[in-house]
Amino acid sequence: MAPKMAEQPAIRELGPSPFEGTKIVGELRLQVGTRAGKAIATRQYHQGALRILRPHYLDDTAQVCYTIVNPGGGYLGGDNYGIEVSVDEDTSLLLTTQSATKVYKTPGTFARQDMVVRLGPGAVLEYVPDQLIAYRGASYRQYTRVDMHQDSSLLFCEVLTPGWSPDGKPFRYDEVRLRTEVSVGGKLAVLDNLLVRPGEDSLDSLLFLQDFTHVGMLLAIDAKIGASDVERIRELAYRIGEAQRTPVHLGISQVPGPGVAVRALSNSTEAINAVLMAVVDELRLHLRGQKPLNLRKY
Amino acid sequence: MPNTPTRQAAGHLLTLLQLTDSALPTGAFSHSLGLESYLSTRAVHDEASFTLWLEKFLSQSLAYTDGLTVRLAHEAAGGEKLARLDALVTAAAVPRQIREAGVKMGARMLHVATSVFPTPELEAYRLQVESGACSGHPGIAFALGAKGAGAPCADTVAAYLFSTITSLTQNAIRGIPIGQNAGQRVLRAMHAPVLAAVETIFTLDEEDLGAAAPGLEIAQMRHEHLRARMFMS
Repeated sequence: MAPKMAEQPAIRELGPSPFEGTKIVGELRLQVGTRAGKAIATRQYHQGALRILRPHYLDDTAQVCYTIVNPGGGYLGGDNYGIEVSVDEDTSLLLTTQSATKVYKTPGTFARQDMVVRLGPGAVLEYVPDQLIAYRGASYRQYTRVDMHQDSSLLFCEVLTPGWSPDGKPFRYDEVRLRTEVSVGGKLAVLDNLLVRPGEDSLDSLLFLQDFTHVGMLLAIDAKIGASDVERIRELAYRIGEAQRTPVHLGISQVPGPGVAVRALSNSTEAINAVLMAVVDELRLHLRGQKPLNLRKY
Repeated sequence: MPNTPTRQAAGHLLTLLQLTDSALPTGAFSHSLGLESYLSTRAVHDEASFTLWLEKFLSQSLAYTDGLTVRLAHEAAGGEKLARLDALVTAAAVPRQIREAGVKMGARMLHVATSVFPTPELEAYRLQVESGACSGHPGIAFALGAKGAGAPCADTVAAYLFSTITSLTQNAIRGIPIGQNAGQRVLRAMHAPVLAAVETIFTLDEEDLGAAAPGLEIAQMRHEHLRARMFMS
Protein backbone atom coordinates (compact mmCIF):
# COMPACT_ATOMS: atom_id res chain seq x y z
CA MET A 1 0.00 0.00 0.00
CA ALA A 2 3.04 2.27 -0.31
CA PRO A 3 1.75 4.32 -3.27
CA LYS A 4 -1.45 5.17 -1.40
CA MET A 5 0.57 6.42 1.56
CA ALA A 6 2.43 8.72 -0.79
CA GLU A 7 -0.82 10.05 -2.24
CA GLN A 8 -2.51 10.51 1.10
CA PRO A 9 0.09 11.42 3.68
CA ALA A 10 -1.14 10.97 7.23
CA ILE A 11 -1.94 14.30 8.81
CA ARG A 12 -1.57 13.82 12.50
CA GLU A 13 -3.28 17.05 13.52
CA LEU A 14 -6.41 16.29 11.46
CA GLY A 15 -6.64 12.70 12.65
CA PRO A 16 -7.27 9.73 10.36
CA SER A 17 -8.98 10.54 7.06
CA PRO A 18 -12.66 9.54 6.93
CA PHE A 19 -12.02 8.62 3.29
CA GLU A 20 -9.21 6.17 4.05
CA GLY A 21 -9.39 3.17 1.76
CA THR A 22 -11.38 4.98 -0.96
CA LYS A 23 -9.77 5.94 -4.23
CA ILE A 24 -10.33 9.67 -4.15
CA VAL A 25 -10.18 12.07 -7.12
CA GLY A 26 -10.34 15.14 -4.91
CA GLU A 27 -10.09 15.47 -1.15
CA LEU A 28 -10.50 18.47 1.09
CA ARG A 29 -10.14 18.54 4.88
CA LEU A 30 -10.74 21.69 6.81
CA GLN A 31 -10.75 22.53 10.48
CA VAL A 32 -11.93 26.00 11.44
CA GLY A 33 -11.39 27.61 14.84
CA THR A 34 -11.27 31.10 16.29
CA ARG A 35 -7.96 33.03 16.44
CA ALA A 36 -7.74 36.65 17.61
CA GLY A 37 -11.52 37.00 17.55
CA LYS A 38 -11.94 35.81 13.94
CA ALA A 39 -12.79 32.41 12.51
CA ILE A 40 -9.96 30.93 10.44
CA ALA A 41 -8.78 27.54 9.18
CA THR A 42 -6.49 26.10 11.83
CA ARG A 43 -5.73 22.99 9.78
CA GLN A 44 -6.32 22.23 6.16
CA TYR A 45 -5.37 19.66 3.61
CA HIS A 46 -6.28 19.12 -0.01
CA GLN A 47 -5.23 16.82 -2.74
CA GLY A 48 -6.32 16.17 -6.31
CA ALA A 49 -9.26 17.96 -7.85
CA LEU A 50 -10.50 19.92 -4.82
CA ARG A 51 -9.01 23.01 -3.17
CA ILE A 52 -10.13 26.12 -1.34
CA LEU A 53 -9.66 29.83 -1.96
CA ARG A 54 -8.24 32.16 0.66
CA PRO A 55 -10.68 33.18 3.42
CA HIS A 56 -13.07 36.11 3.16
CA TYR A 57 -15.05 38.00 5.78
CA LEU A 58 -18.33 39.07 4.18
CA ASP A 59 -19.80 41.11 7.03
CA ASP A 60 -18.79 42.64 10.35
CA THR A 61 -19.08 39.32 12.23
CA ALA A 62 -16.26 36.85 12.96
CA GLN A 63 -17.71 34.39 10.43
CA VAL A 64 -15.20 33.19 7.85
CA CYS A 65 -16.19 32.29 4.30
CA TYR A 66 -14.30 29.60 2.40
CA THR A 67 -14.90 28.79 -1.25
CA ILE A 68 -14.43 25.28 -2.59
CA VAL A 69 -12.90 25.07 -6.07
CA ASN A 70 -12.94 22.09 -8.40
CA PRO A 71 -10.22 22.81 -10.97
CA GLY A 72 -11.03 19.49 -12.63
CA GLY A 73 -14.21 21.03 -14.05
CA GLY A 74 -16.71 18.26 -13.46
CA TYR A 75 -17.54 14.89 -11.98
CA LEU A 76 -17.31 11.74 -14.09
CA GLY A 77 -18.51 8.17 -13.54
CA GLY A 78 -16.60 6.39 -10.79
CA ASP A 79 -15.18 9.65 -9.42
CA ASN A 80 -15.13 9.88 -5.63
CA TYR A 81 -14.77 13.19 -3.84
CA GLY A 82 -14.31 13.63 -0.09
CA ILE A 83 -14.85 16.74 2.01
CA GLU A 84 -14.33 16.86 5.76
CA VAL A 85 -15.27 19.97 7.73
CA SER A 86 -14.84 20.52 11.48
CA VAL A 87 -16.02 23.71 13.10
CA ASP A 88 -14.69 24.36 16.61
CA GLU A 89 -16.58 25.77 19.58
CA ASP A 90 -18.23 29.18 19.05
CA THR A 91 -16.84 29.45 15.51
CA SER A 92 -18.87 30.32 12.42
CA LEU A 93 -18.12 29.06 8.92
CA LEU A 94 -19.81 29.86 5.62
CA LEU A 95 -18.88 27.33 2.97
CA THR A 96 -19.66 27.88 -0.68
CA THR A 97 -18.36 26.94 -4.13
CA GLN A 98 -16.72 28.97 -6.88
CA SER A 99 -19.06 27.70 -9.57
CA ALA A 100 -21.69 25.08 -10.28
CA THR A 101 -20.76 21.44 -9.75
CA LYS A 102 -21.23 19.62 -13.04
CA VAL A 103 -21.88 15.91 -13.29
CA TYR A 104 -21.32 14.57 -16.80
CA LYS A 105 -22.44 11.31 -18.32
CA THR A 106 -21.43 8.52 -15.93
CA PRO A 107 -21.40 5.26 -17.88
CA GLY A 108 -20.89 2.20 -15.70
CA THR A 109 -21.07 3.76 -12.29
CA PHE A 110 -22.19 6.93 -10.54
CA ALA A 111 -20.04 9.83 -9.38
CA ARG A 112 -19.99 10.23 -5.63
CA GLN A 113 -19.21 12.87 -3.04
CA ASP A 114 -18.85 12.14 0.66
CA MET A 115 -19.00 14.96 3.13
CA VAL A 116 -18.32 14.58 6.85
CA VAL A 117 -19.16 17.50 9.13
CA ARG A 118 -18.54 17.99 12.85
CA LEU A 119 -19.91 21.02 14.71
CA GLY A 120 -18.72 21.82 18.23
CA PRO A 121 -20.75 23.62 20.92
CA GLY A 122 -21.91 27.01 19.65
CA ALA A 123 -20.48 26.32 16.16
CA VAL A 124 -22.26 27.50 13.03
CA LEU A 125 -22.01 26.05 9.52
CA GLU A 126 -23.81 27.55 6.56
CA TYR A 127 -23.29 25.43 3.45
CA VAL A 128 -24.56 27.35 0.44
CA PRO A 129 -23.05 25.89 -2.74
CA ASP A 130 -23.81 26.84 -6.34
CA GLN A 131 -26.23 24.59 -8.13
CA LEU A 132 -25.49 21.02 -9.05
CA ILE A 133 -25.90 20.46 -12.80
CA ALA A 134 -26.56 16.91 -13.95
CA TYR A 135 -26.21 16.20 -17.67
CA ARG A 136 -27.79 13.51 -19.83
CA GLY A 137 -26.84 10.04 -18.61
CA ALA A 138 -25.53 11.40 -15.30
CA SER A 139 -25.85 9.47 -12.06
CA TYR A 140 -24.68 11.10 -8.85
CA ARG A 141 -24.78 10.29 -5.15
CA GLN A 142 -23.92 12.71 -2.41
CA TYR A 143 -23.61 11.37 1.11
CA THR A 144 -23.37 13.91 3.90
CA ARG A 145 -23.00 12.99 7.56
CA VAL A 146 -23.30 15.73 10.13
CA ASP A 147 -22.50 15.27 13.83
CA MET A 148 -23.53 18.38 15.66
CA HIS A 149 -23.65 19.54 19.27
CA GLN A 150 -27.08 20.48 20.68
CA ASP A 151 -25.97 24.13 20.82
CA SER A 152 -24.61 24.30 17.28
CA SER A 153 -26.37 25.50 14.16
CA LEU A 154 -26.55 23.95 10.70
CA LEU A 155 -27.82 25.33 7.44
CA PHE A 156 -27.52 23.14 4.37
CA CYS A 157 -28.93 23.76 0.91
CA GLU A 158 -28.68 22.41 -2.61
CA VAL A 159 -30.20 23.29 -5.96
CA LEU A 160 -30.30 20.54 -8.56
CA THR A 161 -30.70 21.49 -12.21
CA PRO A 162 -30.59 19.59 -15.48
CA GLY A 163 -27.89 20.35 -18.04
CA TRP A 164 -29.22 21.93 -21.23
CA SER A 165 -28.88 20.39 -24.66
CA PRO A 166 -27.66 22.49 -27.63
CA ASP A 167 -31.27 22.99 -28.78
CA GLY A 168 -32.19 24.50 -25.41
CA LYS A 169 -34.14 21.55 -23.98
CA PRO A 170 -33.29 20.28 -20.50
CA PHE A 171 -31.49 16.94 -20.45
CA ARG A 172 -32.99 14.18 -18.38
CA TYR A 173 -30.22 12.86 -16.16
CA ASP A 174 -30.50 9.29 -14.86
CA GLU A 175 -30.55 9.70 -11.10
CA VAL A 176 -29.40 12.03 -8.35
CA ARG A 177 -29.38 11.17 -4.67
CA LEU A 178 -28.61 13.65 -1.93
CA ARG A 179 -28.48 11.72 1.33
CA THR A 180 -27.96 13.90 4.41
CA GLU A 181 -27.83 12.28 7.84
CA VAL A 182 -27.81 14.67 10.79
CA SER A 183 -27.12 13.56 14.37
CA VAL A 184 -27.62 16.01 17.21
CA GLY A 185 -25.84 15.22 20.48
CA GLY A 186 -25.02 11.74 19.18
CA LYS A 187 -28.66 10.94 18.34
CA LEU A 188 -29.92 10.61 14.76
CA ALA A 189 -32.37 13.49 14.17
CA VAL A 190 -32.96 13.81 10.42
CA LEU A 191 -32.26 11.56 7.47
CA ASP A 192 -32.97 13.67 4.40
CA ASN A 193 -32.64 11.12 1.61
CA LEU A 194 -33.64 12.95 -1.55
CA LEU A 195 -33.95 10.80 -4.65
CA VAL A 196 -34.68 12.18 -8.13
CA ARG A 197 -35.20 10.03 -11.20
CA PRO A 198 -36.61 12.29 -13.92
CA GLY A 199 -37.70 9.30 -16.02
CA GLU A 200 -38.90 9.57 -19.60
CA ASP A 201 -41.82 11.95 -19.20
CA SER A 202 -43.97 13.79 -16.67
CA LEU A 203 -46.01 10.64 -15.92
CA ASP A 204 -42.82 8.81 -14.90
CA SER A 205 -41.98 11.86 -12.87
CA LEU A 206 -45.37 12.35 -11.16
CA LEU A 207 -43.85 12.06 -7.67
CA PHE A 208 -40.36 13.33 -8.47
CA LEU A 209 -40.50 16.50 -10.59
CA GLN A 210 -44.09 16.60 -11.92
CA ASP A 211 -43.78 19.07 -14.81
CA PHE A 212 -40.81 20.90 -13.32
CA THR A 213 -37.10 20.56 -14.07
CA HIS A 214 -35.30 22.06 -11.04
CA VAL A 215 -35.22 20.88 -7.40
CA GLY A 216 -34.20 22.84 -4.34
CA MET A 217 -33.72 21.70 -0.76
CA LEU A 218 -32.84 23.44 2.47
CA LEU A 219 -32.33 21.92 5.88
CA ALA A 220 -31.73 24.04 8.97
CA ILE A 221 -31.13 22.53 12.41
CA ASP A 222 -30.89 24.81 15.42
CA ALA A 223 -32.29 24.48 18.95
CA LYS A 224 -33.82 27.95 18.55
CA ILE A 225 -36.07 26.97 15.59
CA GLY A 226 -39.56 26.53 17.07
CA ALA A 227 -42.95 25.64 15.57
CA SER A 228 -43.90 29.33 15.19
CA ASP A 229 -40.65 29.98 13.31
CA VAL A 230 -41.53 27.19 10.90
CA GLU A 231 -44.92 28.85 10.26
CA ARG A 232 -43.24 32.22 9.67
CA ILE A 233 -40.68 30.66 7.31
CA ARG A 234 -43.48 28.93 5.42
CA GLU A 235 -45.39 32.18 4.93
CA LEU A 236 -42.22 33.99 3.86
CA ALA A 237 -41.20 31.25 1.40
CA TYR A 238 -44.70 31.09 -0.13
CA ARG A 239 -44.77 34.88 -0.48
CA ILE A 240 -41.35 35.05 -2.16
CA GLY A 241 -42.25 32.05 -4.32
CA GLU A 242 -45.45 33.73 -5.53
CA ALA A 243 -43.49 36.88 -6.44
CA GLN A 244 -41.31 34.99 -8.93
CA ARG A 245 -41.98 35.14 -12.67
CA THR A 246 -41.48 31.37 -12.89
CA PRO A 247 -43.78 29.36 -10.58
CA VAL A 248 -42.16 27.73 -7.54
CA HIS A 249 -43.90 24.73 -5.94
CA LEU A 250 -42.95 24.61 -2.25
CA GLY A 251 -43.20 22.41 0.81
CA ILE A 252 -42.02 23.37 4.29
CA SER A 253 -42.14 21.20 7.42
CA GLN A 254 -40.77 21.05 10.93
CA VAL A 255 -38.15 18.35 11.54
CA PRO A 256 -36.63 16.92 14.73
CA GLY A 257 -33.39 18.49 15.82
CA PRO A 258 -35.29 20.80 16.01
CA GLY A 259 -35.30 22.45 12.64
CA VAL A 260 -37.02 23.10 9.35
CA ALA A 261 -36.92 21.45 5.92
CA VAL A 262 -37.77 23.18 2.64
CA ARG A 263 -38.42 21.49 -0.72
CA ALA A 264 -38.84 23.42 -3.95
CA LEU A 265 -39.66 22.55 -7.55
CA SER A 266 -39.45 25.05 -10.41
CA ASN A 267 -38.14 25.58 -13.93
CA SER A 268 -35.61 28.18 -12.88
CA THR A 269 -32.52 28.22 -10.67
CA GLU A 270 -33.04 31.93 -9.98
CA ALA A 271 -36.62 31.42 -8.76
CA ILE A 272 -35.59 28.60 -6.39
CA ASN A 273 -32.57 30.59 -5.19
CA ALA A 274 -34.76 33.62 -4.46
CA VAL A 275 -36.90 31.50 -2.12
CA LEU A 276 -34.01 29.63 -0.47
CA MET A 277 -31.97 32.82 0.06
CA ALA A 278 -34.97 34.55 1.64
CA VAL A 279 -35.18 31.64 4.11
CA VAL A 280 -31.41 31.75 4.70
CA ASP A 281 -31.59 35.49 5.46
CA GLU A 282 -34.60 35.07 7.75
CA LEU A 283 -32.77 32.33 9.69
CA ARG A 284 -29.56 34.41 9.96
CA LEU A 285 -31.51 37.36 11.31
CA HIS A 286 -33.67 35.33 13.69
CA LEU A 287 -30.94 33.02 15.03
CA ARG A 288 -27.93 35.34 15.17
CA GLY A 289 -29.00 38.86 14.27
CA GLN A 290 -26.72 38.49 11.24
CA LYS A 291 -27.12 40.55 8.06
CA PRO A 292 -28.42 39.01 4.80
CA LEU A 293 -26.01 36.76 2.94
CA ASN A 294 -24.15 38.45 0.10
CA LEU A 295 -21.74 36.11 -1.62
CA ARG A 296 -20.58 38.87 -4.01
CA LYS A 297 -20.13 36.33 -6.75
CA TYR A 298 -22.44 37.69 -9.38
CA MET B 1 -41.38 -32.59 -3.75
CA PRO B 2 -43.21 -29.84 -5.59
CA ASN B 3 -46.97 -29.80 -6.01
CA THR B 4 -47.55 -32.23 -3.15
CA PRO B 5 -51.10 -31.64 -1.96
CA THR B 6 -51.31 -30.85 1.71
CA ARG B 7 -54.17 -30.59 4.14
CA GLN B 8 -52.03 -28.41 6.35
CA ALA B 9 -52.55 -24.70 5.69
CA ALA B 10 -49.48 -22.66 6.56
CA GLY B 11 -49.98 -21.23 10.04
CA HIS B 12 -48.30 -17.98 9.12
CA LEU B 13 -50.95 -17.36 6.43
CA LEU B 14 -53.61 -16.74 9.06
CA THR B 15 -51.33 -14.42 11.01
CA LEU B 16 -50.63 -12.41 7.84
CA LEU B 17 -54.35 -12.29 6.98
CA GLN B 18 -55.16 -10.98 10.44
CA LEU B 19 -52.33 -8.40 10.53
CA THR B 20 -53.20 -7.11 7.05
CA ASP B 21 -56.95 -6.98 7.58
CA SER B 22 -58.29 -3.51 6.93
CA ALA B 23 -60.27 -3.82 10.18
CA LEU B 24 -57.03 -4.06 12.19
CA PRO B 25 -57.22 -1.08 14.55
CA THR B 26 -54.07 0.79 13.43
CA GLY B 27 -55.87 3.89 12.22
CA ALA B 28 -54.61 3.44 8.64
CA PHE B 29 -58.02 4.58 7.35
CA SER B 30 -57.30 8.11 8.58
CA HIS B 31 -53.96 8.53 6.75
CA SER B 32 -53.68 9.35 3.04
CA LEU B 33 -49.84 9.72 3.13
CA GLY B 34 -49.98 12.71 0.78
CA LEU B 35 -52.72 11.40 -1.54
CA GLU B 36 -55.22 14.00 -0.29
CA SER B 37 -53.01 16.84 -1.59
CA TYR B 38 -53.17 15.29 -5.08
CA LEU B 39 -56.96 14.99 -4.68
CA SER B 40 -57.21 18.67 -3.77
CA THR B 41 -55.36 19.75 -6.93
CA ARG B 42 -57.34 17.20 -9.01
CA ALA B 43 -54.06 15.61 -10.15
CA VAL B 44 -55.75 12.42 -8.90
CA HIS B 45 -59.47 12.51 -9.75
CA ASP B 46 -60.65 9.13 -11.08
CA GLU B 47 -59.85 5.41 -11.23
CA ALA B 48 -57.18 5.80 -13.95
CA SER B 49 -55.29 8.68 -12.36
CA PHE B 50 -55.49 6.99 -8.94
CA THR B 51 -54.14 3.71 -10.36
CA LEU B 52 -51.19 5.56 -11.88
CA TRP B 53 -50.51 7.51 -8.67
CA LEU B 54 -50.73 4.38 -6.52
CA GLU B 55 -48.31 2.45 -8.72
CA LYS B 56 -45.78 5.32 -8.54
CA PHE B 57 -46.32 5.70 -4.78
CA LEU B 58 -45.66 1.98 -4.32
CA SER B 59 -42.59 1.66 -6.54
CA GLN B 60 -40.97 5.05 -5.89
CA SER B 61 -41.79 5.70 -2.23
CA LEU B 62 -43.40 2.90 -0.20
CA ALA B 63 -40.80 0.34 -1.36
CA TYR B 64 -37.98 2.55 -0.02
CA THR B 65 -39.70 3.47 3.25
CA ASP B 66 -42.01 0.93 4.88
CA GLY B 67 -41.27 -1.89 2.42
CA LEU B 68 -37.53 -1.87 3.04
CA THR B 69 -38.16 -1.37 6.77
CA VAL B 70 -40.25 -4.55 6.91
CA ARG B 71 -37.53 -6.55 5.14
CA LEU B 72 -34.71 -5.20 7.31
CA ALA B 73 -36.74 -5.76 10.50
CA HIS B 74 -37.49 -9.33 9.44
CA GLU B 75 -33.77 -9.93 8.82
CA ALA B 76 -32.50 -8.02 11.87
CA ALA B 77 -30.76 -10.08 14.49
CA GLY B 78 -31.04 -8.36 17.83
CA GLY B 79 -32.45 -5.28 19.49
CA GLU B 80 -29.54 -3.02 18.56
CA LYS B 81 -30.12 -3.49 14.82
CA LEU B 82 -33.87 -2.91 15.32
CA ALA B 83 -33.19 0.27 17.30
CA ARG B 84 -30.97 1.56 14.48
CA LEU B 85 -33.67 0.72 11.92
CA ASP B 86 -36.34 2.40 14.05
CA ALA B 87 -34.20 5.56 14.31
CA LEU B 88 -33.46 5.61 10.57
CA VAL B 89 -37.02 5.15 9.37
CA THR B 90 -38.34 7.75 11.83
CA ALA B 91 -35.64 10.29 10.93
CA ALA B 92 -36.26 9.67 7.22
CA ALA B 93 -39.87 10.85 7.53
CA VAL B 94 -39.06 14.50 6.86
CA PRO B 95 -42.68 15.75 6.44
CA ARG B 96 -44.05 16.15 9.99
CA GLN B 97 -47.41 14.43 9.38
CA ILE B 98 -45.72 11.36 7.88
CA ARG B 99 -43.46 11.08 10.94
CA GLU B 100 -46.46 11.42 13.25
CA ALA B 101 -48.44 8.87 11.21
CA GLY B 102 -45.58 6.37 11.62
CA VAL B 103 -45.39 6.85 15.37
CA LYS B 104 -49.20 6.65 15.83
CA MET B 105 -49.71 3.60 13.64
CA GLY B 106 -46.53 2.06 15.04
CA ALA B 107 -47.89 2.21 18.59
CA ARG B 108 -51.18 0.63 17.54
CA MET B 109 -49.61 -2.08 15.39
CA LEU B 110 -47.22 -2.87 18.24
CA HIS B 111 -50.09 -3.08 20.70
CA VAL B 112 -52.05 -5.48 18.48
CA ALA B 113 -49.03 -7.59 17.58
CA THR B 114 -47.75 -7.96 21.15
CA SER B 115 -51.17 -8.78 22.57
CA VAL B 116 -52.20 -11.24 19.83
CA PHE B 117 -48.89 -12.73 18.58
CA PRO B 118 -46.44 -12.20 21.44
CA THR B 119 -42.79 -13.14 20.82
CA PRO B 120 -39.66 -12.27 22.83
CA GLU B 121 -38.48 -9.99 19.98
CA LEU B 122 -41.77 -8.07 19.90
CA GLU B 123 -41.74 -7.76 23.68
CA ALA B 124 -38.16 -6.42 23.58
CA TYR B 125 -39.15 -3.88 20.89
CA ARG B 126 -42.21 -2.85 22.94
CA LEU B 127 -39.94 -2.15 25.92
CA GLN B 128 -37.59 -0.11 23.72
CA VAL B 129 -40.55 1.99 22.54
CA GLU B 130 -41.94 2.30 26.07
CA SER B 131 -38.59 3.55 27.40
CA GLY B 132 -38.33 6.11 24.60
CA ALA B 133 -35.24 4.45 23.10
CA CYS B 134 -37.31 3.75 19.97
CA SER B 135 -40.13 5.74 18.35
CA GLY B 136 -42.11 2.74 17.13
CA HIS B 137 -42.93 1.97 13.50
CA PRO B 138 -45.76 -0.17 12.09
CA GLY B 139 -43.43 -1.91 9.61
CA ILE B 140 -41.13 -3.14 12.37
CA ALA B 141 -43.97 -4.35 14.62
CA PHE B 142 -45.63 -6.07 11.65
CA ALA B 143 -42.40 -7.76 10.55
CA LEU B 144 -41.69 -9.09 14.05
CA GLY B 145 -45.24 -10.41 14.43
CA ALA B 146 -45.13 -12.13 11.04
CA LYS B 147 -41.64 -13.49 11.63
CA GLY B 148 -42.76 -14.94 14.98
CA ALA B 149 -45.51 -16.85 13.14
CA GLY B 150 -42.95 -18.29 10.72
CA ALA B 151 -43.85 -16.12 7.70
CA PRO B 152 -41.03 -15.97 5.15
CA CYS B 153 -39.51 -12.53 4.60
CA ALA B 154 -40.78 -12.02 1.01
CA ASP B 155 -44.37 -12.96 1.99
CA THR B 156 -44.17 -10.60 4.95
CA VAL B 157 -43.02 -7.71 2.75
CA ALA B 158 -45.63 -8.43 0.04
CA ALA B 159 -48.41 -8.68 2.63
CA TYR B 160 -47.44 -5.39 4.26
CA LEU B 161 -47.22 -3.54 0.93
CA PHE B 162 -50.58 -4.89 -0.21
CA SER B 163 -52.19 -3.96 3.08
CA THR B 164 -51.00 -0.33 2.74
CA ILE B 165 -52.20 -0.34 -0.89
CA THR B 166 -55.58 -1.62 0.32
CA SER B 167 -55.89 1.11 2.98
CA LEU B 168 -55.02 3.82 0.44
CA THR B 169 -57.55 2.38 -2.02
CA GLN B 170 -60.25 2.37 0.66
CA ASN B 171 -59.36 6.00 1.35
CA ALA B 172 -59.53 6.83 -2.38
CA ILE B 173 -62.97 5.18 -2.63
CA ARG B 174 -64.18 7.66 0.00
CA GLY B 175 -62.00 10.59 -0.99
CA ILE B 176 -62.23 10.81 -4.81
CA PRO B 177 -64.82 9.13 -4.67
CA ILE B 178 -64.71 6.02 -6.87
CA GLY B 179 -66.95 2.94 -6.66
CA GLN B 180 -66.23 -0.21 -4.66
CA ASN B 181 -65.87 -2.22 -7.88
CA ALA B 182 -63.39 0.33 -9.24
CA GLY B 183 -61.46 -0.07 -5.99
CA GLN B 184 -61.30 -3.84 -6.50
CA ARG B 185 -60.01 -3.33 -10.07
CA VAL B 186 -57.29 -1.04 -8.74
CA LEU B 187 -56.28 -3.65 -6.15
CA ARG B 188 -56.10 -6.38 -8.78
CA ALA B 189 -54.00 -4.10 -10.99
CA MET B 190 -51.55 -3.68 -8.09
CA HIS B 191 -50.69 -7.40 -7.79
CA ALA B 192 -47.85 -7.29 -10.35
CA PRO B 193 -46.46 -3.95 -9.11
CA VAL B 194 -46.44 -5.27 -5.51
CA LEU B 195 -44.49 -8.37 -6.55
CA ALA B 196 -42.10 -6.20 -8.59
CA ALA B 197 -41.64 -3.92 -5.57
CA VAL B 198 -40.77 -6.92 -3.39
CA GLU B 199 -38.07 -7.90 -5.90
CA THR B 200 -36.70 -4.36 -5.89
CA ILE B 201 -36.72 -4.27 -2.08
CA PHE B 202 -34.41 -7.29 -2.00
CA THR B 203 -31.85 -5.37 -4.11
CA LEU B 204 -31.78 -2.38 -1.72
CA ASP B 205 -29.69 -1.76 1.38
CA GLU B 206 -29.67 0.53 4.41
CA GLU B 207 -28.40 3.50 2.36
CA ASP B 208 -31.62 3.38 0.32
CA LEU B 209 -33.87 3.52 3.36
CA GLY B 210 -36.23 6.48 3.25
CA ALA B 211 -35.27 7.63 -0.25
CA ALA B 212 -37.87 10.29 -0.96
CA ALA B 213 -39.27 11.85 -4.14
CA PRO B 214 -39.43 15.66 -3.83
CA GLY B 215 -42.86 16.07 -5.50
CA LEU B 216 -44.43 13.57 -3.09
CA GLU B 217 -42.72 15.16 -0.10
CA ILE B 218 -44.04 18.59 -1.08
CA ALA B 219 -47.56 17.11 -1.30
CA GLN B 220 -47.10 15.55 2.15
CA MET B 221 -45.80 18.84 3.58
CA ARG B 222 -48.57 20.94 1.98
CA HIS B 223 -51.16 18.63 3.52
CA GLU B 224 -50.38 20.38 6.83
CA HIS B 225 -52.33 23.45 5.71
CA LEU B 226 -54.84 21.92 3.29
CA ARG B 227 -58.38 23.20 3.75
CA ALA B 228 -61.19 20.74 4.56
CA ARG B 229 -59.06 17.69 5.27
CA MET B 230 -60.61 14.21 5.53
CA PHE B 231 -57.31 12.62 6.57
CA MET B 232 -54.59 13.24 9.18
CA SER B 233 -51.77 12.95 6.63
